[in-house]
Amino acid sequence: MRNPLIRRIPKELASEWHKYLVIVLFMVGMIGVISGMYVGRESMVSSIEAGKTELNLEDGCFELSHRASPELLEKISSGEKADLKQYFIDKGMEEADKEVSGAIEKELNAKVTKTIEDGVRAQCEAMGVTDEEMIQSYIDSALDENFDSALEEVRKSNEFKEAADKAYEEAHDAVVEAVDEDWDDIAEEYGLNDDFYPVTVTVYEHFYRNESEDNNNDGVEDATVRIFKSDSAIDLASFVEGRAPDNRNEIAIDGNHAKTVGVKLGDKINVSGKEYEVVGLLSYVNYLTMHESNTDLMFDAFGFNVAMLTPEAFNELSSRLHYNYSFLYNVKPDGKAAQADYSGNFLKALITQSLAGDNEIKDYLPIHLNQARNFAPSDIKGDSAGTSIFCYILIAVIAFIFAITISNTIDKEASVIGTLRASGYSKGELIVHYMSMPVIVTLAGAVIGNALGYTVFREAAVKIYFNTYSLPLPKVVWSPSALVKTTIIPLILMFFINLFVIVKKLQLSPLKFLRHDLKRSKRSKARRIPAWSFLGRFRLRVLFQNMPNYAVLIFGVILSEVMLCFGFGIVDSLNNYGDRAPDMVLAKYQYMLMGYKDEDGNIIVTDEESAERFNCINLMYPKETLSLREGMGSGGDEGITVYGISDGSSYVDLASDIPEGHVYISSAFRDKFYIGSGDVITLHEEFGNKSYDFTVEGFVDYEGGLAVFMNNERFIKTFEKKDGEFSGYFSRNEITDIDEQNIATVITAEDISKVTTQLMHSIGEFMNIFKYAMIVLAAALIYLLARIIIERNEHSISMVKILGFKNGEIASLYIIPTAIVVILCTVLSLGIGYFLMIWIFHAFLMQMDGYFAFYMSPLSMVLSVLYLLLGYAFVSVIDFIRIKKIPMDVALKNVD
Amino acid sequence: MEENFLEIRDLKKSFGTGEAKQDVLRGMNFTVKKGEFCVLLGPSGSGKSTLLNIIGGIDTPDSGFVSINGDKLEDMDEKQLTIYRRKHLGYVFQMYNLIPNLNVKENIEVGAYLSDDPLDVEEVITTLGLQDHKYKYPNQLSGGQQQRVSIGRAVVKNPDILMCDEPTGALDYKTSKEILSLIEDCNSKYGSTIIMVTHNEAIKYMADHVIKLRDGVVRHNDINDKKIPASELEW
Repeated sequence: MRNPLIRRIPKELASEWHKYLVIVLFMVGMIGVISGMYVGRESMVSSIEAGKTELNLEDGCFELSHRASPELLEKISSGEKADLKQYFIDKGMEEADKEVSGAIEKELNAKVTKTIEDGVRAQCEAMGVTDEEMIQSYIDSALDENFDSALEEVRKSNEFKEAADKAYEEAHDAVVEAVDEDWDDIAEEYGLNDDFYPVTVTVYEHFYRNESEDNNNDGVEDATVRIFKSDSAIDLASFVEGRAPDNRNEIAIDGNHAKTVGVKLGDKINVSGKEYEVVGLLSYVNYLTMHESNTDLMFDAFGFNVAMLTPEAFNELSSRLHYNYSFLYNVKPDGKAAQADYSGNFLKALITQSLAGDNEIKDYLPIHLNQARNFAPSDIKGDSAGTSIFCYILIAVIAFIFAITISNTIDKEASVIGTLRASGYSKGELIVHYMSMPVIVTLAGAVIGNALGYTVFREAAVKIYFNTYSLPLPKVVWSPSALVKTTIIPLILMFFINLFVIVKKLQLSPLKFLRHDLKRSKRSKARRIPAWSFLGRFRLRVLFQNMPNYAVLIFGVILSEVMLCFGFGIVDSLNNYGDRAPDMVLAKYQYMLMGYKDEDGNIIVTDEESAERFNCINLMYPKETLSLREGMGSGGDEGITVYGISDGSSYVDLASDIPEGHVYISSAFRDKFYIGSGDVITLHEEFGNKSYDFTVEGFVDYEGGLAVFMNNERFIKTFEKKDGEFSGYFSRNEITDIDEQNIATVITAEDISKVTTQLMHSIGEFMNIFKYAMIVLAAALIYLLARIIIERNEHSISMVKILGFKNGEIASLYIIPTAIVVILCTVLSLGIGYFLMIWIFHAFLMQMDGYFAFYMSPLSMVLSVLYLLLGYAFVSVIDFIRIKKIPMDVALKNVD
Repeated sequence: MEENFLEIRDLKKSFGTGEAKQDVLRGMNFTVKKGEFCVLLGPSGSGKSTLLNIIGGIDTPDSGFVSINGDKLEDMDEKQLTIYRRKHLGYVFQMYNLIPNLNVKENIEVGAYLSDDPLDVEEVITTLGLQDHKYKYPNQLSGGQQQRVSIGRAVVKNPDILMCDEPTGALDYKTSKEILSLIEDCNSKYGSTIIMVTHNEAIKYMADHVIKLRDGVVRHNDINDKKIPASELEW
């Protein structure tokens, strides 16, 4: 015979359909979102992963100051370190030889000249010639006639040879001695004594140019476009639409940039003065986000683009060629640790070989630290992980709500349970019975949620990612792991939380159920409460009676408010950052020069009156990153710009009497690393081992970057620069009299605000939807919990109605305690949410480069609380209606 | 009737500790034969409900034992006690304790489900006079009708012992007599041993065996040779 208790389930579902509908919708929404994100993610990640081999993704790249010779490339490919000691000795000897040879020549010339001169004078004296003019003319003609032969004669003499050999030998010895003396420092600087093994690579030329893009043909530069050649053998592109260019007038550009700025296939765009037809929208395998520089805080699909031209068209461009080389390891590293190890060893070889090859490394970036490649997959994975954790917390909350509901049902049905147990129903049978509802509801939610997740939500997730990143076309992947995560985990959560509560509840003996003696703790005396008015005490009793409900309610409200802080705070922080962008630059225009002299060796000057020279160098500040998300941020230490500021600068205000070794730091640097005045900071070179200690003297209110400021003279001394050398100009006005070839980059407020423009474009809309979703979520949670409180007190409510209380009075008894809890809790949660967000933001930024402060406007604070309370007010109205509907005979009927 | 189907020996039970300690059962001894209609009679606090609960295996004595058909309850663990209740007992309480969202028939089936050899549900419904109400829910029934359902739920198991704890305590005179008649019918028709707790002196006349309790001990243990049908009882 089938257990007749099963028949209760559909009846219960029918009678409490609003409650279960809300719960099922909740589950469907959450499971659908997680499922969609997982399947969308798997589809995206699988196509990104496939690109690694299909599109020949590099293992890293480096840029040199000039084109490498085939010999140098061969040496770099060997992965072996150059013999720097020999290099320095050879170099020293070369110079010594030059010096010795020059000295010998000089000495020889003087000696031969003097011998000839002395001979002529002796002959003149013998002949009685005394006229000095005549003597001088004899000397000149003797020199003309005999100098070379005399010189040759002396050179052939053994005496000369011995002297020259000795001079060379002495000079060589001095060079070897000098190198030996400095060798420890050199070895230390280049890490030559560290553990090392050669990593052989295959190097590919992958040159590019950064050009100016005018994508709406209005004559104004809209973006920087990085152009690669279409015949490249490495880091290929997949085409989202269209094809590769096949003549000098065609261009293929990044698909996401095109969408962001509104360029379509067939449109014409202007690149550095020449018009090209857009024939392809592509996604480069190593540019999934538009990070112009690896240390950019955020990518910029508005202001940066990558594109492909035919080699012919590429060669026609005139801007500076970046000698970028990509490489592939001949033996692939196994795992992340090996990846880091490989890149470290290869870098040592690269540094020494390029130095020995008289070249200079401008940039080095192994792929595992490449933000443009790793940011998107990391964000996609992180998004789904973050979203699922959030959803699992919500499912746990729902499970607790369910558990409380069932716990209340058990309380209500205590006599029935006692009778059933007394009649022979086992505890297990009753546990199975009470567990069936949460399991059925979760299963229903999981089935419908997954169905939606694999269809509607998957499409939505893919669309969101596709709109944000420069991704290849997704390959549809049906992920069994997603099914497990979206079905098994919610079921397990729901199952075990409810099982725990139900088992605990049903532990009591049948007799206790029959006697309605369900309290586990024996409170011998009633809880003493203050001598308030009757109604006040009544409300307090309601509060005490429903403690578990309020505990879950408080958790739910805190969770919702924290999420609201997140929603409001992200948008506010972006707006705040954008609004303050003009104040976040050191000067309206900051020109970074290629060098302080032009090609002809002339110092680069300007007539711009407001222009002021400055020096700068990039160093690194050590940081430990949380492993929140790998792939975001440059992955290494924090890049710090050290500025040398002129005395009396009108751009950066520094005290004139800063003690030696003391510096000022930017407020962003201070806030990111909690650095205080008097602290000692140690900065080190990125590609060398040299480090510098500075004591923090004070702070410069500058949030645009992490920077150190010092007096220019001290800068030159500290970093061994030449007198008069400088890195660029600060200016209030645009400088027009410096040749563009000499300008490396110009920093303006727009560069700062591009971060916010990009973020607002990517997440602004989503955040607004998110905010409202949170309000609905909070209202639904409050609805479910407040409903339980009223259901539980149905009997008492009915009784007080009989006693003559009006609906309004009853509502005030049962709604006001909840209202007080919700209001207090919401205000408290605002504080929790605000400070938690500051902490999370900071932890997240430690992973990234740069600084971005969390900001929430007072209006947003008020609104976040108000929205939640409005949600609650709506629920209260429903509660009031429910209270009104409770009939008086509930208290009189004896149906249990 | 068999001898000593139910045996109670030196049963003691107290509640509370120290000065608040209250001895509810203070050494109780008696036996009940199979098929007997036994009434436990006594005023409030005499220990009759506690005794019934111990016999029913839902409470435990401090000392002494209860033996049913030779099996001592004290030797059984919780699982065995559940099986004991499932196989041998039917319960009727003063409060009907029906499942509100199951109809009459379904509530009776709740009892039938537990038995390996249940009675026919329809027959029980007819016996209890509930055929016109079998699809009604508890809140659509009168108190007497609800108690009939609760008796149906207990007897449909075809239990060896039907335990009735003040089954007419919440009912009026007329309905009480109807209920008592039904219990009487179950005793005669299905041969169940009935142990009924009541404080109503009049009910003793319908029983085979009357045990009067006071202050936790058996004051009178009488066999009633002149049973009166429930319908003829007056109080």
